[in-house]
Amino acid sequence: MSEETLEPEKWVENYADMLYRYTLVLVKGPDVADELVQVTFFAALKSQHTFAGKSTEKTWLFGIFKHKTMDRFRSSKKNLNLDITDADADRIQFDTTGHMTPSPNNWNVDSEKATENKELAQVLAKCMNGLSEKFHHIFVLKEIEGLSSEKICKEFNLKPTNLWVMLHRARNQLKLCMESNWLTKE
Amino acid sequence: MSLLMAIFKMTCKDVYPLISEEMDHTISFSRRVRLKMPLAICNLCQAYIRQLQTLRNLARNLGKENSQAIEKKTLSPDTKEKIQKYIKEKN
Repeated sequence: MSEETLEPEKWVENYADMLYRYTLVLVKGPDVADELVQVTFFAALKSQHTFAGKSTEKTWLFGIFKHKTMDRFRSSKKNLNLDITDADADRIQFDTTGHMTPSPNNWNVDSEKATENKELAQVLAKCMNGLSEKFHHIFVLKEIEGLSSEKICKEFNLKPTNLWVMLHRARNQLKLCMESNWLTKE
Repeated sequence: MSLLMAIFKMTCKDVYPLISEEMDHTISFSRRVRLKMPLAICNLCQAYIRQLQTLRNLARNLGKENSQAIEKKTLSPDTKEKIQKYIKEKN
C-alpha cells in the first residue's frame, strides 16, 4: 500500500463541505460552524509535520477538527451559564395520577435499526438545533462525543445531579420534538 | 399492579428521571431496586426506555465521520475562497 500524503491545495474541494455539515451537528449556528471549519484548516496547515502517513488524510483532518471542536467547547463555557433556570423546566406533561401524557409509545421504530434511518437522524439534528445552548452543549458532549458524566462535570464544574437533570430534560425536549416533527406524520 | 407501585411509592413521574439517569452512570443499589419493579410491570416505562435508546443510537450515528445522515448543506463560497487563498499563501 502506498503511503498517504497530504494535498492541502485540494482540502477545500475534498473536505470543506463534509466538515461543515458535521460541524453543524456539533455546534449551534452556521457562523460558529463556518469559523470552526476555517480554524481546522488553518491548524491542519500548521501541523502537517504531525501527519505520519499511517491514517488517511481525511481521518487525520477529522482528528484535528475534533480537537478544535473540544477547544471551542472549553472556551465557550466561560460565557455559558449552566445553572438550571425556569426556562429549562421539563416540558413533559403528566396527568394527575403521575402518568406521562401522551403515553410513550414505540415510535414504530426499532431502536437498533433506527441508526439506518437517515431521515430520522436528520430530524434529530434539526431538533437538536432547537435546544438551548447549554442543553445542546451537554447533549453533544454526552451522546455524540461520548464523554463520561464525570468528565463533563469536571470540565464544566457541574454537580452530577444537575448534569442528570439537564440531560433528562434535554432528552425529553428532543423526544417531544421528534414526535411532533416526524413520528406523528404517519 | 397499582398496589405494587404504591408499595414502592413510585409513580411514572418518579421513574422517568431515574431511567434517564441510569443511561449516564451506574445508579446506586437502592435506586436500582426502586427502578426494577416499575420497569418489570410498566409497559410505558419500557416504551420510554426504547425512545431514549433510539435517541442515543441516532445521536451516535450523527457523530460518525462518515455519517450520511447530515443534511446536504455547503460551506459558503466566500469562506471556501478565503481558506483556499490562505492555504495557497502559507503552504
